[in-house]
Amino acid sequence: MNLVEVKNLKTYFYSDEGVNRAVDDVSFEIPEGKTVCIVGESGSGKSITSLSIMQLIDKPGKIVEGEIIFDGVDLLKQDENYIRGIRGSKISMIFQEPMTSLNPSYTVGFQIDEVLKLHHKELDKKGRYERAIEALELVGMPYPEEKYNEYPFKLSGGQRQRVMIAMAMACEPKLLIADEPTTALDVTIQAQVLDLMNKLQDKKGTSILFITHDLGVVAQMADEVVVMYRGHIVEKASAKELFEDPRHPYTKALLNSIPVPGKHKRKSRLDTVDENIDYLQFPKEIR
Amino acid sequence: MSKILFDVKNLTKHYEIKRGLLAKPKIIKAVNGIDFNVKKGEILSIVGESGCGKSTTAKLLMTIEKPTSGEIMFEGEDITKFSENELKKYRKKVQIIFQDPYSSLNPRWKVGRIIAEPLLLNSDLQKEEIKEKTLAIMKKVGLKEEWYERYPHQFSGGQRQRIGIARALIINPEVIICDEPVSALDVSIQAQVLNLLLDLQEEFNLTYVFISHDLSVVEHISDRILVMYFGDIVESGDVDEIFSNPKHEYTKTLLGAIPKIEV
Repeated sequence: MNLVEVKNLKTYFYSDEGVNRAVDDVSFEIPEGKTVCIVGESGSGKSITSLSIMQLIDKPGKIVEGEIIFDGVDLLKQDENYIRGIRGSKISMIFQEPMTSLNPSYTVGFQIDEVLKLHHKELDKKGRYERAIEALELVGMPYPEEKYNEYPFKLSGGQRQRVMIAMAMACEPKLLIADEPTTALDVTIQAQVLDLMNKLQDKKGTSILFITHDLGVVAQMADEVVVMYRGHIVEKASAKELFEDPRHPYTKALLNSIPVPGKHKRKSRLDTVDENIDYLQFPKEIR
Repeated sequence: MSKILFDVKNLTKHYEIKRGLLAKPKIIKAVNGIDFNVKKGEILSIVGESGCGKSTTAKLLMTIEKPTSGEIMFEGEDITKFSENELKKYRKKVQIIFQDPYSSLNPRWKVGRIIAEPLLLNSDLQKEEIKEKTLAIMKKVGLKEEWYERYPHQFSGGQRQRIGIARALIINPEVIICDEPVSALDVSIQAQVLNLLLDLQEEFNLTYVFISHDLSVVEHISDRILVMYFGDIVESGDVDEIFSNPKHEYTKTLLGAIPKIEV
């Protein structure tokens, strides 16, 4: 079963200089309980795709065309009230910078409580507190009762990202969108956060849409991979297929540009993505 | 055996953090008595996570920061005791490339001037000669001559990093300290810049001190590695040795944490 089906999505940005087709005719699915990774370089449209699903596209941007079927309902045909009910409760999002996406003037607990107040009106104050502690425990936060009363600046980068995940998971969303959630973190912390997301998925059956430029992270997280280039999907495959047998010239170039021990001789020159080639001229590889 | 360029002994940098009038200041031991050397013509990488002291070490080598104690011998002389004049000469031999190609270039200067700045400060060359050298170095790092009059904002991240490399290279340094030179770049651009750095090193027999948290990049380009953890060097050695047979627990954890692509 697919939880999400994105069909022919087009998100454009309008300016005096013309139209920027940031996302141009993109289609893919997110199966229930699976992780789909979108990889691509800056400007490929991967973040705009995820923001389009959340309908967080502001002017001068606009979703021009397409369907975003979530749980059988086309989100693009619903009004703002319906979307607001879904945001946070059924679809949650984690961003790259845990430093800036938490409010520095409120305690961790206050911020989790706020999410619960909005989306779990049936819970009273005590119920919400218990749920918040439970969420902090779930993400492996040490001393959850103490951390509940701390301000974000007292936490390390990894702990802040845990709070973000706790907030995102507190409402038990069906879909978690994670936009480069570990890019700002050290590798050992990254390993913990990735492990945590995998565990939460196993426990709760959450679907994850994971946006990243790091192919190593893709290899560790993805069931399915979508490769984006200049607003288009150039290749779509299962993670295994993609790494064993990349077919699109852009995917190949991207994979060959990262040094892999055993594959690249030390100090050998790496392949590069050629800026003078328009990789869109090659046929799309959709598997 | 190749010549030893840097011989660092018991290098220490502590920062004092004042916590109010009467409270005792807290001491942050950013670099805590480390010893290492850098040989001519090698690529020595310093790896570790945020707060381990790798960037502070780079700043100490660049004399941007003064050490609390210890010595940094460069070609037999202790740079921590240099006068202003001696430091000026030293900085001709040791240059730096920064991590963020957006904030390390003056947005109000044209590219030609940015790259020529070290020459303007440190040589008696005529205007014409300086321009000639600048254009030659631009060509070398893959920047087009006609971009001489452009401003930094007209360039992409990868091109900006090339500008930073050209600026470091123009006074023929012996050593370039590379402080996370590719971590702000997309992977494909990262590959281009790494290729360029390797080409330049071969051509000019440069020595690199390479600061990075990206272990696959480090494994690809380094000869030797220092692993830092909370201000100490916990392990050092040849790149093969460390990656195939890490001895310290922290090195093992660090290597185990890299997401791997199995091919």
